[in-house]
Amino acid sequence: MFDYTKDYNENSNENTNVVKYWRKHPKSIEKYQFVHYFLPKEDKKKRADFLDNKAILVYCVLILAISLVFRFIPKFAPGVLGYASNITISDLLKYTNQKREENGVAPLKLNAKLSAAAEKKAQDMFKDGYWAHVAPDGTQPWDFILSEGYEYIYAGENLAKNFSNSKEVVEAWFKSPSHKSNLIGANYDEVGFAVVNGVMDGYETTLVVQMFGRPRQPSMLATVGSEGELFGENKASAEGIESEASRLGESTSSQQQENIVSETKENLGEEYPSFTQSNAEPVIDVTTATKSISLAFGIFVSILLALDIIYSRKRGIRKFTGLTLAHFMVLIMVIISIWLVFKPGLII
Amino acid sequence: MMDDIKENRVEYFILFVAILVFMFLVYRFRFNKEMLILLSGVGSALYVIWGVVHHLIRGKLTKNIAYEYILFGLLVFLLFFTVLSF
Repeated sequence: MFDYTKDYNENSNENTNVVKYWRKHPKSIEKYQFVHYFLPKEDKKKRADFLDNKAILVYCVLILAISLVFRFIPKFAPGVLGYASNITISDLLKYTNQKREENGVAPLKLNAKLSAAAEKKAQDMFKDGYWAHVAPDGTQPWDFILSEGYEYIYAGENLAKNFSNSKEVVEAWFKSPSHKSNLIGANYDEVGFAVVNGVMDGYETTLVVQMFGRPRQPSMLATVGSEGELFGENKASAEGIESEASRLGESTSSQQQENIVSETKENLGEEYPSFTQSNAEPVIDVTTATKSISLAFGIFVSILLALDIIYSRKRGIRKFTGLTLAHFMVLIMVIISIWLVFKPGLII
Repeated sequence: MMDDIKENRVEYFILFVAILVFMFLVYRFRFNKEMLILLSGVGSALYVIWGVVHHLIRGKLTKNIAYEYILFGLLVFLLFFTVLSF
């Protein structure tokens, strides 16, 4: 026959010994005391200390304080905070023309004068510290285009900043009706881009300027040569393209020229260098930093809420509080939204 | 947890639908920062109202519970705003 009494006594003795040991060496369990901050209080019918109203208020204040620090850093150390990006003109052109082709519109040709105008506009925005289509002194986008000697029938401008890659920029423009009308506008034949890094309002920023145009005289349309020159570092190749065009004779049709361009691009593949490109690398990337801070707080509170739900169920604790599961669901939604959806860039 | 859901079936259903709608709108306006900030503010405020009304209907609303929803609403808004304000 099994002796229950013996088993109980053995366990009891063992527990007594453990308790005796703890009493003798209180420091050995002191280090585990912090666990109580994370678990609900059975006796007080309350949530964990790290989840009560005061703690949530502290988290809110901490988040606000961190945001304020991020606002002040650029004033004392300009350029330390910024937006890391990897935007290239070749990709911007590729995605722009991809959108146009998807919408049954002819692709745009890169024009050196429009690109130079876009570059001037970007530099002007950094110099005068504004972010708008019209400069504070009243200078219009068209003034930059005309100053480059580009006479147009139609012209347009799209602006973007703080994006991390070319695809996001074009997607953002495409999602906005006014920018989309430029992006897939059938009135335009040519386009110019500038991707310029600089410090704006104390933040290391990447500005993207896209200028569209249809020249007054068809003869002004971008030639193979001028398009090649836009990929500056590849000047030798550009000359190659031009000479190839010359070799075909002056009667070379635009269709033939276009074929040469696309063929050359295919040959160079994804590697063909761009006129300007952005590889901004600030000391601290604001996008990553703010996302990480929000996610860290969100995940921390969610874990505490999950612990609260599991522990309370296990111990049968009923608390006089709000609905923990509802808080948990809302925080999970916040985490998913921040993680997957939020994009930092701005367009105008 | 299941008891909690069964007990508050209607409220949880409303909250679940609201979360789905909110996520759809966030996705829809993912490139429009101003709209996202507006959505975050409205979403947080609606959550506070949802919580307070729920406890009010059940006759369980106390000051502490009301503060709790206000603070959670504020936390949710600040988590969004920190990302969106830069």
